[in-house]
Parts: sequence; C-alpha cells; structure tokens
Amino acid sequence: MNDMRILERDLDTNDNKIAARGVQVYYGTTHALKDVDVDILDKTVTAFIGPSGCGKSTFLRCLNRMNDTIASCRVEGQIKLDSEDIYDPKVDPVQLRAKVGMVFQKPNPFPKSIYDNVAYGPKIHGLTKSKAELDEVVEKSLRRAALWNEVKDRLDAAGTGLSGGQQQRLCIARAVATAPEVLLMDEPCSALDPIATAQVEELIDELRSQFSVVIVTHSMQQAARVSQKTAFFHLGNLVEYGETGQIFTNPKDPRTESYITGRIG
Amino acid sequence: MTDAITGDLAATPGRKPKSSLLAQDALTRRRNASEARFKYYGIAAICVSLLTLAIMLYTIFSDGVGAFQQAKLTFPVTLDAERLDPSGNRSREDLMKVTTIGYASLLGDALNAEVAARGIQIDGLDGRMINDMVSRDAPARVRNMVLADPSLLGQTITVQVYATGRIDGYLKGRVTRETAARDANVSVEQLDLADELRAAGILTTGFNSGFLTNPDASDQRPESAGLGVAIIGSIYMMVMVLLFTLPVGVAASIYLEEFAPKNRFTDIIEINISNLAAVPSIVFGILGLAIFINFMGLPQSSSLVGALVISLMTLPTIIIATRASLRAVPPSIRQAALGVGASQTQTVFHHVLPLAMPGILTGTILGLATALGETAPLLLIGMVAFVTNFPRGPLDGGVLDPATALPVQVYSWASRADPAFIERSSGAIIVLLAFLVVMNAVAILLRRRFERRW
Repeated sequence: MNDMRILERDLDTNDNKIAARGVQVYYGTTHALKDVDVDILDKTVTAFIGPSGCGKSTFLRCLNRMNDTIASCRVEGQIKLDSEDIYDPKVDPVQLRAKVGMVFQKPNPFPKSIYDNVAYGPKIHGLTKSKAELDEVVEKSLRRAALWNEVKDRLDAAGTGLSGGQQQRLCIARAVATAPEVLLMDEPCSALDPIATAQVEELIDELRSQFSVVIVTHSMQQAARVSQKTAFFHLGNLVEYGETGQIFTNPKDPRTESYITGRIG
Repeated sequence: MTDAITGDLAATPGRKPKSSLLAQDALTRRRNASEARFKYYGIAAICVSLLTLAIMLYTIFSDGVGAFQQAKLTFPVTLDAERLDPSGNRSREDLMKVTTIGYASLLGDALNAEVAARGIQIDGLDGRMINDMVSRDAPARVRNMVLADPSLLGQTITVQVYATGRIDGYLKGRVTRETAARDANVSVEQLDLADELRAAGILTTGFNSGFLTNPDASDQRPESAGLGVAIIGSIYMMVMVLLFTLPVGVAASIYLEEFAPKNRFTDIIEINISNLAAVPSIVFGILGLAIFINFMGLPQSSSLVGALVISLMTLPTIIIATRASLRAVPPSIRQAALGVGASQTQTVFHHVLPLAMPGILTGTILGLATALGETAPLLLIGMVAFVTNFPRGPLDGGVLDPATALPVQVYSWASRADPAFIERSSGAIIVLLAFLVVMNAVAILLRRRFERRW
C-alpha cells in the first residue's frame, strides 16, 4: 500500500454514486446529525472519521436505511443513490439493502456453515438459477474476500468457528455475494488484530475496483491508508470533506486540525 | 535498573513490612467469616431441599409401589352351559340375560370345588367366605369372555382373576389378623385360607398391568381400579394443549417481539399477558365452565374442554418463555440478516426463530409439564367424574367423550375410604411423576439437539 504518498494518489473516477443533501437525524428529541451534505463517488473509498458519538455511524446507517429498525430514529433531508431518493415512500428498504451492503463492527456470521453464510444473500434475492451457479458465486465472493484458500476445504464448517479476522472477511464475502453497488463498513477492523486488519485493508483497496466503499473508522492512520476521500464529523456536523491527502496534510477547518493532531477527540 | 533494585533489597535485609501478609487483619477475618457463613447457608438450604425431596419420594414410593403388584387367583372353571345359557341356542341376546350374579355364583362354586379338591380344611370357614375371596370384578370379566366367544360354553378353562382388595392387602402387609378381626369385610378364616391357597400356588402376586390399562372402579372393588382412562385423557389433553398453544403462543410472541409497534396498546397487552400467568388456576376452571360448557355447549367432563381450559393457562407461560428466548438472540444476527437485504419476516424465520427454538421448546415442554399436573380447573369442568368407559379414538369424537386426567384420578382416589385406594393414589402419583420425568428428559434432549453457538 502506498500510504506514504497519499498526496499523489489519484482518483479513478468522479462519478457521483450517493448524494446527500441537508440530512438531519433525530433520536427521539436528540438531534444527532445536523444538516449533512456529502457526495460519495463511485469506485472510491470514502472514510468517515471523528470522535465517538459524532454521528458518523449514524450517517452510515442512513445510507442503507438500517436506522429504520430503531423506532425512535427520524431522518430528514434527501439521500439519492444514482439520483433516486432512497427515503422515497415507494422505496422498499429490503431492495435498497441488496444494492447497499453492510459490514459491521463486530464480525457477525450466521451460526450456519461458511457456504450458507455466503449463499444466503444470493438465495433470498434470487440471483442464481442453479446450484452450480450458486457455487460459483460463493467461490467468487470468498476469493474476493481473500478467504477462499483458507476455507475451500471446509465450506461445511460453521462460520462461527473461524478466527476473528476470518469471520470479518467472511462477513465481507457475504456482503459482496449480493453484488452490491455500495459497501458500507462500520469500523470493520476494530475487533481485529493488526495482521487481520492489514488483510482487511488490503481487501478494501481491491474492492474499490468494483464498488464504492464507505468506511467508518476510529483510526486516522487507517483512513489515511485506505481512503481517497475523507469526511470529518464533529458533534453531529460534517466539518470538512475532501481529498484524503488534503484533509490530513492541509485541513481547512481548525477543528479538523485539532482532531488530527490529537487535541480533541 | 535491575542493579538498582537488587541493591536496594540487599541494603535493607530485615526491613519490617508495614502490615504482614502472613497474618489476617480484622477486616479480612470478618469478610472471610461472612463468606464462609454464606457458603454454609447455601449448603444447608440445599440439604433441606434434598431431604424434603427424599422424604417425599420415599413416602410416595413406599405407599405406591404396591399398586403395581396384585394378588390373583388361578383356578379351573367349568363354564356350565345349562347355567349360563338356559335357552341353549347360544344367541347373544339370550346369553346377555345371564347377569354377573349368575357368573359370580359359578366362579364361587368353582373356587369352593378347588379348595375341597385340594383338601384344605379350615374351622369356621364356610362356602360364602370362599366366594367372597374373588373380586367382584371377576364375574364381569368371565362374562365378557363368554359373550365374545360363546364356544367356550361347556368347556373347562383356567381363569386368572383378581382376589379382593383385603386379601391383596393381606399379602402386601396392609391387612393383618388384628385388623381383620375388627373388619366386617374380611375374616381371619379367609386370611388362613389365603395362606393355604398361596402355599398351593392358587393365590399368587404378579405385576399388575391392569393398573395402567383398567378404567376406574367402584368403592367395592379397588383391586380392579386402574389408570387407563386417566392416562388416555391426559394424553388427549396434552396433545390438544400442544396443538392449541404452540402455534398461537409462538405467533403472538413473534408479533409482539419483532413486529409490534411499541405503544401504549402493546404495553397493555404485555402487562395483561404477564398478569394472566399469575391468575389462580381455579379461576380458569370457572371461566371454562361458564364459556365452554354453559355458553358454547361443549360436553362436560370431555378432554376437549379440559384441553381448552389448560391451554388458556399455559398460553401465557409459553408466550413469556418464547419472548425471552427471542430476546436472547443477539441483535448482531438480526443486523447481519437485514444488512444483506433480508426482509423482517425472512430475518425472523431464517435466523432468529431457529436460534430461539431450543428455548421455545424447553419453555413449551415445561409449560406442558405444569399443565399435566393441573387439577383445580379440571374439577370445575367435571373431569373428576367416575368414568369407567374408555373414550373413543381421538378422530372418532373421543375428545368429546367423558375422561379423567392423572392428577384428578389421584385426587379422587385419595378421597375414597378404602385404604387400598390410598395405595392406588400413590401409585398414580408415581405414574404422573414418570410422565413428568419423561417430558423433562425430552426437553433436555431437544435443547441439546438444537442448541447452537454463535
């Protein structure tokens, strides 16, 4: 990885994948996210950084409407995926989540076999016609998650029996298997050791060729290593959003600078 | 750095510690004492409960084991065609005209003849006393044999029939010569004869399969009373309770736990379910009497009504157990399923419900076990009745036939005068306990079978 040369990193594309305008999120009476405007580019890794409770995970969960499962949560504003408003009443969140996959902070494989874990998404979305096709999707997804060589001989073993890093890669394979357009990752490495973290980071860099990846992270080094664009959240506000190199070397907002240099957070 | 430390230690060889670790200070001693005391309280509590259990089981088994043994008389009987079929045409109607009284005298005569043939002589023993050694259940049995197969008439067959409850009690040590002297139902001479018959191999004790298969019997013949109707009634009820409560309970729990909006209305429903679980069971009996029997007109004493009443009682237990096990499924599993685009229903049925299954099944079986032992509501809907006819098959309307249940049979036998029924009552408790042990074992097995780690 070329983490030392972040300034020189160029962007493959400038296509807009997700456009958020004036997003407000309330938990009951708490105003958790205030007036967020972000454009997330296709085939790009976008990192959300900021201190705990700043709203970055909340915003991430708005992007595939996982916040719908929280009864007290209310979202206002507009989030467009390929110029379609995902909060339109006609949108079925289930369909949206097939397009916008998610990987969670704690590895959470289903208590089923490795094969069934990966095959579940394609099965419920009817992506495959035959068993052979499904086998192919499973293999491709596991390969893409850099897990195939480790598990190809024991696809029937329980997914929960893998190590933490393997479990997280299994979750990534599961998310990739539904062929999403955007992959959301909520602190995917916080429960992993440095070696597993490095593997997952490498993976994120490879996934960028197919999807738009949005990653929430507490580690600024990680954000600097894997992302092309970075957004800094603070107290529910989007403080600064720009090229990763610019945010880390030449932040415009004094709050960003304070956070990056370790004075707030 | 290391040098400095060793140097420091060496420099102060005999330095006294501020407080010694080798002696306990007052606070530590007090703390340890209270810890030890608490441990002894716990051990004492466990000992008391184990002792109580042991006493209970000992009483039940020492009283009840006798019910599984039964004294029987075996002797040859000539089925005299002239006495049993006076018209001589072997037609069923004519055979029916000879009542059990006719058969009783035939059996009595046969036993008298056998006693005489063996040369048994006891002073003061008359033929009537010998007749009375045979259970009143025996003539009906022999009569049914003849009605089923009239070709037996004229033959000499060896019958095995119950001895009366007092003779049975004498063999089990419940009746002694002292009590017999004060008892109008049995005489000392009969006990002497019992000894002789036993020596001759006519009076024997063996396993009493009739206790599990016979229906209830009247006060005069405790020896033939059995649990057949009660066991069938209990099985009918448990199967129906399972069919009524499991689908309703699980569906209600899934809705309340996974789909229902959290508002005042669902709060009220939740509180009411918890309260229903605490309603005394006899209240459900009155409810069943008023609604199922008086209003809906379902037949009294039927296992269907019993099952409906017990279902009402078991439902809250099952809902509470199911909701608890649904709640115990980690939210990360739900998020994972929603995250790959499963709908709420798919999430519940593909992931949450399978994980909650062991808990649901255990809760259900424990609920059923409680229901199996439930007595009070059944008393009010008439299941305490004296039922001697077996219910029909469950699909032939047997669930509408009068039946009793095991705990009700225990209750009704315990309230009868003859001590032989007390023995049967304890025996019925043993059968009930065996059912409960089996159900709990099934619960444990199912839990092991379905349990998964996540």
